[in-house]
Amino acid sequence: MNEFSRRGFLGLAGAAGVAGLAACAGTGTAPSTGSGGGSSNTIEFWSNHPGNSKPVEQQIIKSFEAANSGIKVKLVDAGKNYEEVAQKFNASLAGGQLPDVVVVSDVTWFNFALNKQLSPLDELLSGASIDTSDYVDALYNDYNLDDQHYALPFSRSTPLFYYNKDLWKAAGLEDRGPKDWDEFLTWAPKLKAAAGSDKIVMELPDGSNYLDWVFQNMVWGYGGAYSKEWTPTFSDPNTIKAGTYLQNLAKDGYLKLAKDPAPDFTAGIVGCSMMSTGSLGGVAKDAKFPVGTAFLPGDGNCPTGGAGVGIPANISDDRKKNALKFIEFLTNAQNTVTFTQATGYMPVRKSAVELPEEKAFLEKNPNAKTAIEQLPKTRSQDNARVLLPGGGARIGKGLDQIVQGQDVATVFKGLDAESQQVFDSQIKSKLGA
Amino acid sequence: MSTPTLVGTVDDERTPRTATKRRRGREAHSVEASTHNRGPAWTAAGYAGMVLIVLVVAVPLFWILITSFKERGDIYVRPAQWWPDPATGENYRELTTRIPFVDYLRNSVIITGATSIAKIVLGVLSAYALSLLRFPGRSIVFLVVIAALMVPNQITVISNYALVAQLGWRNTYQGIIIPLAGVAFGTFLMRNQFLNLPGEIIEAARLDGAGPMKLLWRVVMPMSWPTLVAFALITVVNEWNEYLWPFLMSDDETTAPLPVGLTFLQNNDGVTNWGPVMAGTVLAMLPILVLFLFLQRQMIKGLTAGAVKS
Repeated sequence: MNEFSRRGFLGLAGAAGVAGLAACAGTGTAPSTGSGGGSSNTIEFWSNHPGNSKPVEQQIIKSFEAANSGIKVKLVDAGKNYEEVAQKFNASLAGGQLPDVVVVSDVTWFNFALNKQLSPLDELLSGASIDTSDYVDALYNDYNLDDQHYALPFSRSTPLFYYNKDLWKAAGLEDRGPKDWDEFLTWAPKLKAAAGSDKIVMELPDGSNYLDWVFQNMVWGYGGAYSKEWTPTFSDPNTIKAGTYLQNLAKDGYLKLAKDPAPDFTAGIVGCSMMSTGSLGGVAKDAKFPVGTAFLPGDGNCPTGGAGVGIPANISDDRKKNALKFIEFLTNAQNTVTFTQATGYMPVRKSAVELPEEKAFLEKNPNAKTAIEQLPKTRSQDNARVLLPGGGARIGKGLDQIVQGQDVATVFKGLDAESQQVFDSQIKSKLGA
Repeated sequence: MSTPTLVGTVDDERTPRTATKRRRGREAHSVEASTHNRGPAWTAAGYAGMVLIVLVVAVPLFWILITSFKERGDIYVRPAQWWPDPATGENYRELTTRIPFVDYLRNSVIITGATSIAKIVLGVLSAYALSLLRFPGRSIVFLVVIAALMVPNQITVISNYALVAQLGWRNTYQGIIIPLAGVAFGTFLMRNQFLNLPGEIIEAARLDGAGPMKLLWRVVMPMSWPTLVAFALITVVNEWNEYLWPFLMSDDETTAPLPVGLTFLQNNDGVTNWGPVMAGTVLAMLPILVLFLFLQRQMIKGLTAGAVKS
């Protein structure tokens, strides 16, 4: 009895060992090109449903299936945010079973494109005779690498200047946003006096929550930049000027950073903020005071953001064709209107604004109108933030340090060096190859 | 028993005056009782400490609970609202209509149940073999198991994904459950427990002719009940909260568990309506809370059973 079970156990242990080894060797058999799983008449759409958009996505999918009999679309919950979609997509790249259409954000698409994991779309687009000139230029060109586009804009947002109209009135200011940051500085003492000691004039997201995104506006406003093409320009005198401005705002007690300014702003504790257009619906619904929105200070200094949709590289041509058909449908004028009205994102097509239902919508929602009118004044973000791996987090950390009072020039010099080093080691060799 | 008395005595000798005062202050108390007490200041400090800890633990939970009954406009206000006014069940209704909550709950129960049972069975059996059975290479097998404990599952995730995807198990229960069923931690914990059992009892059982399985069921397990319950509890809670792997494997509500499902209540670009999120959190906590209350009694029973014997 004893002897038997000992042997039995040894056998079991052996089997377990083999299973364990097999589990470790999972990456050994990557699928070859064109066989990344899936069938050609079911489109798998990996989305994080930006802005709680699952019902709208389902609605668009339904009408797509009705218009294209024989093609099914499977909507997959691919994560709670863009980073998680990227993570799941990454895992599928190692293990096969690729999606047909995947949501990629302004920060995550580039790495996939650079490593040839996303399909360049231009050839496919001209093959399907899709006119890309109707896409809002700044949004369309965000996905450009070596004159190839790797995604089409889908859930796109920009920051907006939000302000508390009650506070503005109390401070005796005109009902509008500041023309530029210098003007804001002349407003700040009045706002502070009106706000009282327990309220904050301006709250921005901190460095781990997109301060680097909204600060892009200040940098451009002072004529600086994070980078010119691939050369980091943090040490540029104008960039440093913007950094010093940010630091002084904090030093003078006008600015506070928070993980998410939206709750404080809607609670009425904060006078103004720069937040995504995606927050518009929620803020308007929650706030118990009149909310004002304005263009970001300055002219043509508004960074774009949000996400587009791309097609993986290693799937069959048939699947790619179907995927593109779906993407075109998803982002056409009619559907971009449906989608953006439900979420607060920007319509990605120029002709969308001409549609009667969009006109009626903007008539009723002047704050949404601000966002759309700002759209032509947007500018694609600097490479050092969106295209360099870890760029956003790196810059955000530096900005946090500045706000805490560290020397601006020193911090920015460090950012220059780090960005350059990341570029040299991770990007340079892959460019133009 | 002797230690507290000793401390009490030393305390009294050092501060006889305060001790006298103390005694006078509480006339009803006997001298003997006062030697065991540390004085009102200490007692007060002790209670203050306890209250503080309870607050640290309970206030966030309380906040979750009341937020789940608040109306949307009342969540972010200053001063904070410490009681939902007016209270509303709207968040719970929204929770069940905006996401397929029942599906997620069902998946959570299936996945947690299956994984926990697999883990507990495997953990106990392997620990038993590694501690009380003798076979060649035992310590090497144990080393390998311990090594597995050192590898965080975030690292093995990609290769596991590749393997499971090639088996065509994506978005299936087995695809989620089987890779999670490995149990280095349980093996380690239960092995140490088994090794601490008195060798004489094991030997006696063997002499009486108990086979390996009988030894395990009749002798080893009854003596290890508290550790097993603790292990089971930790396992169930961990599995219930498991996020990364189920998230990667599942595609929709046919297999995704609650932690994944609840994230779809949050708005990833803009303002989240926290009411339904909190309602979901409350409902997700309840089953574990009930299980804990139930198992906790078992755990105490086991502990006292061991303490009063010998």
